Amino acid sequence: MSSNRGKTAIVGIGEIPTGRYPEQNAISFALDAARMAIADAGIAKDEIDFVIPTTAVFSFQFSNELTTCRLVEELGLKGVSANTTVFSGGSSSTNALRIASALIETGRARNILFVHCEKLGTGVSTQGGIDLFSTAGISMEWEVPYGQHYSTVAALATQRYKHETGTTDEELSAVCVSNRKWAELNPNAFFRKPLTVAEVMGSKMLATPLRAKHSNMLFDGGAAFIVTSAERARNLTDKPAYVLGEGGAVTHFAYHQEPDLTRFGWAKAGREAFAEAGITPADINVAEIYDSYPIFQLIAFEEIGLCPRGEAGAMHLHGDTWPGGQLPTTTDGGMLSKGHTGAGGSVSLLVEAARQVMGRAGQRQVPNCRFAVETAVGGTYMDAQVTILGNEIP
Amino acid sequence: MSDAQHPTKPRPVVQPWAQPFWDAAREKRLILQHCEDCNKPIHYPRIACPHCGSARTGWRVASGRGQIYSYTVVVSNAPSAFVADMPYVVAVIELDEGVRMLSNIVDCDPQQLRCDMPVEVTFEQLDAEFMLPKFRPLT
Repeated sequence: MSSNRGKTAIVGIGEIPTGRYPEQNAISFALDAARMAIADAGIAKDEIDFVIPTTAVFSFQFSNELTTCRLVEELGLKGVSANTTVFSGGSSSTNALRIASALIETGRARNILFVHCEKLGTGVSTQGGIDLFSTAGISMEWEVPYGQHYSTVAALATQRYKHETGTTDEELSAVCVSNRKWAELNPNAFFRKPLTVAEVMGSKMLATPLRAKHSNMLFDGGAAFIVTSAERARNLTDKPAYVLGEGGAVTHFAYHQEPDLTRFGWAKAGREAFAEAGITPADINVAEIYDSYPIFQLIAFEEIGLCPRGEAGAMHLHGDTWPGGQLPTTTDGGMLSKGHTGAGGSVSLLVEAARQVMGRAGQRQVPNCRFAVETAVGGTYMDAQVTILGNEIP
Repeated sequence: MSDAQHPTKPRPVVQPWAQPFWDAAREKRLILQHCEDCNKPIHYPRIACPHCGSARTGWRVASGRGQIYSYTVVVSNAPSAFVADMPYVVAVIELDEGVRMLSNIVDCDPQQLRCDMPVEVTFEQLDAEFMLPKFRPLT
């Protein structure tokens, strides 16, 4: 594959605080985030010529409205040639960025607006959310009849990973603590009170060894970003978030078909992304790792090469990933502390990665942040996706 | 009985090419699909061999034995239809033939389960049409 290193960039981001907004329609989350991203980019709204919404899981009707150009009309965008939904569950942001970059590189589009919004926090009941996610991406013939759902999906990986690496419950719980330390600094995060390993380990058992505080919770939210060419980006800002490298690996549909529940496709995805970017894991200043459960943050962190296998837990326990640590990780608080908003989990992480390399992360800003790696994955961790952003082109 | 508190258990949504698997299960037999060309075992059943692409597939009786690749004991927040079953065990079984299945471990003390523990197939009636292959520790 030819290198597309640094040919496109994210130049504008927008995001509303993750939360519960029972009185508001989800369209307002999308419109607020989109308007913020357009303003942040410093472009005129009518320069947007391609719109990519992603699916909102809470409502098929609402998602259909996004697919059928509602955002274009509501925002009054006069120069749009195409509007098309890109959805791959938790990896939607990465796949949208990949497609947006390709469209720009080939001259099919100039300024692309990606928008996500979701109302899973107040649009469905708690048990409704559990039931929704007991069939989403889970085989109706081979897994649903056995009571598979997302707690068991996470627990099965956790159990085997502990067996093979010796990682402890304390180290797994430290992922929640590390992400919370960042959420304490993030006004857009939902859970911002300090959290201890003892509190995580004392929370209700869901599916051994997975406990309640190892589990994400569903919320309302919305975020957006603008992608344009590197040339245009340089005219807009002196610190664009260049898209330096992307890699991916689809490894299963039915969870039990995954060849290795302790690794998934991250190693290949990481190798591809770093090769295209022309840097190594040692060059990374900030890691935005998809964290819907602690186990998946540890596995992706190790497999893309940020530390040797079996050592990520200790790094999260001993502060290497915390504010001020040697490798700040999941600095928006992640789904575990910022809150899970469906496809928005990785949208938030990608927006945060862009925010960090653009130098706009406020209290969370990692000093001298040149390169960020972001991971995203959909369904039952079926398609490891890795993106590398930077404010310079190596 | 199905009601708001105890909804009906989800039944396998059967693909036509997997029907022989479920027909055999109803007779308490575990069978596995294999490829007649490359001879590899296949599970779950496919419309064609996922290894070599051949449409020539057949069936063989499985040993019914395997190991626990991973497992979890569900104690809270289960899907509605499984709330009454808690605690129940979900496991990925690696069969001796080299393919994996998702199933439940039954007839066991959940505290005694371990990764790589040997197990054997057993069958549990779901309803008039379906018998589900499940596993229990090999004694």
